[in-house]
Amino acid sequence: MSEVILKVKDLRKVYDGKPAVDGINFEVKKGEIFGILGPNGAGKTTTLEMIETMREIDGGSITVDGLDVASQPNEVKATIGVQPQSPAFQDKTRLSEIIELFAAAYGENVDPMEFLNDVKLGEKANAYVEQLSGGQKQRLSIAAALVHSPKLFFMDEPTTGLDPQARRNLWDLTREVRDKGVTVIMTTHYMDEAEILCDRVAVMDNGKIIAIDTPKNLIQQLLKRGFKKEQQVEQANLEDVFIDLTGKALRD
Amino acid sequence: MHHSGFYLLIAVIVLLIFFRRVWPRLRANHPTKPVVHRSIKHKSFYTVQVFSRLNTRRFFRDRLALFFGILFPLIFLFVFGGISGGSKNNNVSFRVAVINESHSAFAQQFSHQLSTSKTFKINKDATTLATAKDKMAKSQVDATIVLPADFGTVKPGQNYPSGEAKVLYSQNSVSAGQTLTTVLEGEFKRVNAKFVSTQQPFTAVGQQLNEKSLTSFDYTFAGLLGFSIVGLGIFGPVNVFPELKKQGILRRLHTTPLKVWQYFTSTMISQAIIGLISLAIMFAVAIAVFHLKVVGNYLEIAIFLVFSIITILGIGLAIGGWAKNERQAAPLANIIVFPMIFLSGTFFPRFLMPEWLQSITYYLPLTPVIDGVRLLVTEGKHLTDIGTQLGLLGIWTVIIYFIAFRVFRWE
Repeated sequence: MSEVILKVKDLRKVYDGKPAVDGINFEVKKGEIFGILGPNGAGKTTTLEMIETMREIDGGSITVDGLDVASQPNEVKATIGVQPQSPAFQDKTRLSEIIELFAAAYGENVDPMEFLNDVKLGEKANAYVEQLSGGQKQRLSIAAALVHSPKLFFMDEPTTGLDPQARRNLWDLTREVRDKGVTVIMTTHYMDEAEILCDRVAVMDNGKIIAIDTPKNLIQQLLKRGFKKEQQVEQANLEDVFIDLTGKALRD
Repeated sequence: MHHSGFYLLIAVIVLLIFFRRVWPRLRANHPTKPVVHRSIKHKSFYTVQVFSRLNTRRFFRDRLALFFGILFPLIFLFVFGGISGGSKNNNVSFRVAVINESHSAFAQQFSHQLSTSKTFKINKDATTLATAKDKMAKSQVDATIVLPADFGTVKPGQNYPSGEAKVLYSQNSVSAGQTLTTVLEGEFKRVNAKFVSTQQPFTAVGQQLNEKSLTSFDYTFAGLLGFSIVGLGIFGPVNVFPELKKQGILRRLHTTPLKVWQYFTSTMISQAIIGLISLAIMFAVAIAVFHLKVVGNYLEIAIFLVFSIITILGIGLAIGGWAKNERQAAPLANIIVFPMIFLSGTFFPRFLMPEWLQSITYYLPLTPVIDGVRLLVTEGKHLTDIGTQLGLLGIWTVIIYFIAFRVFRWE
């Protein structure tokens, strides 16, 4: 039995009398890549924000690595790393300074090069952040979120707007982070991404979790119910063609 | 005397160039050694130190910020310094034509003395009475001094030279002509005493009581420093914070254990550094170009300015920290800032206001800043003499920061 790092119990959030998160329960185990899926407005982001101490909890409880989120927000903040949906940094700041800044926010003094090399941005250490491409910004953002060696790492739609090469690179990065012993919780609208990357996924709709399991089991359950795709499944898709034609090398 | 201003200006420019051009290259050649300290004793202060260092550095990399922070106040200084006639101060001078028709030694000497006097600007082109009259008609000279042919000659039965100088002036320069006549009479009185020693039982002597009497430029300069502090302290955060919120940068920082006080303190430190540099340049220009006489102690002035920047910055932090976007920030800032700028005596001295208004505006947060600067810089007072101003600033600092901390929003 692996250790539980996140425990969400009866979690509730009410906006204007309407439940945005309606009494959800789930657990995330140490070392997992855990996906939260669902259409817009399902309550994914609200759930994440409550775990990240950014929103008040209206009901229920959240425990991160044994810490109660409602009563120990500062300890929780030091335990988690957060990668926002669209990473932005103050301009006229060098990449190495961004790392320095985020480390300082946690009261730590680190070697920026070590973290920049981890996300293949070592050569750009002295560049200003406004000179980066979208994919590079995502990678810098990941590096910045890991400066304090968090145990739990949140990624909110990390690959939205990236080209296939940058997406693949980000998947590799996510796995590397997990391999260092960091538990990853992510949201995404790309089902192929969830299927490839996530060990387990929770599917949310209308503020409730309607399914939670490994991608494989969820697919099996659907097939057992007699589901059949109308079209015949090809052995390759257009993305495979794209990658085959343009190569896997990162462009930025 | 105003050389010190030039030196100060050059020193600041050299410093600016060093930090913008030379320092980054030195750093690039010698990258900082990776020092890895996992546990730092004073974590909070390390956080503040890094944030304020990077904040300050970012300012000097940003051309737009440099323009608004440093050049913009200077433009105001030139505009308003020029209006208040800072370069002339209280030296009144007359443009005169001197027609010397006498050949006596005394007349020669007297007209020479006139030409070396600061009070008189002799128009050299007007050598005849006709041209002098023409120039008076065109308002090119204020008056004409005529020394008649017998001026300075020794008349029969006297053992001293005598004569009557005529001051001619036109209708449109009556006051200048009359003042000039009085000035000349005064001059002659001194001369007369040398030739005829008559007893003067009753005399009146004018004595200037306060050598450091305030010129209009002194008021203008204190006001402009106040204006500059408002620009840096209020419009800085009011413009920057909503943008940081819009991009989610503050929200991102909020996911870290960074505290509001750490963020405020680092902003304070970097704004104080930037403010001191900007104000030092204003001082240098005011001394070099507008002959500002700084009689106060520079260290005391610097301490007071830092205190002022911190107080006024609180207003910017409160507005920028509260506002969700620039649509909220800009109107609120304008409502608060513009009345304060005018009522605190930034552009015209408060003593010109009706008394009831003076007694109200005395308590505005910017008033003690401007009064304090003037008292320290031009009246040679010490920090211990301006307890009232420091007290007012102290009270405002507590009130403003109490509000700023309460209304701050990360997103």
